[in-house]
Amino acid sequence: MEENYSVSLTFKSIIQGSIILGVITFGLGLYFNTEKTWANFLLNNYYFISIVIGATFFLAIQYVTQSGWSAMFARIPHAIGMYMPLAAIILFLIFGMHSVYHWSIPGVAENNPGIEHKSSYLNIPFFFIRIVFFLALWIFMIRLLRKTSLKEDHASNLKYFYKSEYYSKIYIFILSISFSLLTFDLIMSIDVDWFSTIFAVKNFVSAFYHGVSVITLIVILLYRKGCFKDLNEAHLRYFSRYIFILGIIWAYLWFVQYLLIWFANIQEETIYYVIRTEGKLKIFFFLDIILNWAIPFSILLSARTNTNKLVLIIVCIILIIGQWLDLYFQIMPGSVGELNIGYIEIGLFAGFAGLFIFIVNRALTKIPLIPKNHPFLGESISSHLD
Amino acid sequence: MIGTILGVYEDEELLISALQKLQDEKIEISEVLTPYPVHEVFKIMKRKTRLPLATFLFCVLGVILTYLFLYWASVLSYPLIFGGKPLNSIPSFILICFVMMIFFGVFLSVIAFFVRSKLYPGKKAKIHYPRITDNAFVIMIDKKPEMSSNDIKQLNSILKDHGAVEVLEK
Repeated sequence: MEENYSVSLTFKSIIQGSIILGVITFGLGLYFNTEKTWANFLLNNYYFISIVIGATFFLAIQYVTQSGWSAMFARIPHAIGMYMPLAAIILFLIFGMHSVYHWSIPGVAENNPGIEHKSSYLNIPFFFIRIVFFLALWIFMIRLLRKTSLKEDHASNLKYFYKSEYYSKIYIFILSISFSLLTFDLIMSIDVDWFSTIFAVKNFVSAFYHGVSVITLIVILLYRKGCFKDLNEAHLRYFSRYIFILGIIWAYLWFVQYLLIWFANIQEETIYYVIRTEGKLKIFFFLDIILNWAIPFSILLSARTNTNKLVLIIVCIILIIGQWLDLYFQIMPGSVGELNIGYIEIGLFAGFAGLFIFIVNRALTKIPLIPKNHPFLGESISSHLD
Repeated sequence: MIGTILGVYEDEELLISALQKLQDEKIEISEVLTPYPVHEVFKIMKRKTRLPLATFLFCVLGVILTYLFLYWASVLSYPLIFGGKPLNSIPSFILICFVMMIFFGVFLSVIAFFVRSKLYPGKKAKIHYPRITDNAFVIMIDKKPEMSSNDIKQLNSILKDHGAVEVLEK
């Protein structure tokens, strides 16, 4: 079952070009518009961390529930997980803390009673200690899962499958706590006076949602390259069910957060939405819910469209844009202010996306694309709609 | 010669192979009775259902009617400002619309299903074969005036060949 693929030279040079473009934009941006560049740096870093988290969470869920249908695709989340060590470039944020995080400016916390009592948790050293600790934990767990899966290729019993399942349980437990705290640190602390108790859940679901759509996109693109010859309607429907149901959960949490704040109408809380529904940002407020929920929901509702590969590709691309927009909506008003999309946004996203595709592509070509001795492989290949 | 032919099977796979054969011979099957849902039967007989579409439309209807009612109640009939909210406060209407959407969708779908399959509470069940609620699978074929006795014999033998326990004529 040696089913590896190769990419064209043009594709490789486009990827390398976009990485270089990202680096150049980063340099130029730091010189001309420092504040905006650091905010975008944070956005893109968080974006790809969340996709890695979502994809590996998907993998862990498949092991824990012993799902048969997805056994064939286990190597794609593994490959996406290989990006995690590179997420450590977020540590460069230490040079741009003051541009993004209001609380990190010396003297601000002391004079503001709303922030002062948080300062034993929100201070620069502890902030970075937490990030390093979480990243180390995730890299360790992702490597462990990957190693176990690779060892399974040469095993003749179920030992490694049960090991994977056990590690997945630990990974889910770790993720639920650590990723929640990371979202508090990286995103919620931008609006330091404001807090929402549903924030972590919303962002976790968002990560899972968009992680699954990235996996789906990669599966369909690889199918077009000639891999996954056994991909059929059943797999596509399971993927679109994942996207559909997570879209509903995402919209539910988005709405719950908005409704409670809107209804309670407490000054400290409503200010978060007031600055986000005024002026040009109002467009983003509605685009956010349209791209992330309304379009995928209404397209995938019908049984005829949700097994169509082209439709799924379009939905996944919409969601990839939607996740970026959602994060822009959460990060920018608190740090930069006005809505203004220019070369920094496009260049930096291109750079990070290029890096992500480069890593995932390299990881996918290195190892056999389909796991060999996965106990559910037969069930996965012969999945059918009933 | 008007009536029905019943082929009784005791195994799901035998039933499906018989159905496949009858479908290949282009014999019109009027009904298949199974003790539990068998998805392949749906597929082989190429039956389509419009019930999901009906449910969707009922849900849309539910949302529209509920919104109209809420608008009438809180803006036209009894305009009362509370909590500094506008009279036509859409975010708080969404919840009620959502719940009523489910209510309309569920109840009207069930009613549509009853109407479509001509069922009503208290209707006397028509039992074609006594073991149908237990462990028997039944294929029903309507006899037509143009069928000769030879045709019917052939039909019987097709049903028997594919493992029918019993073939009845009514």
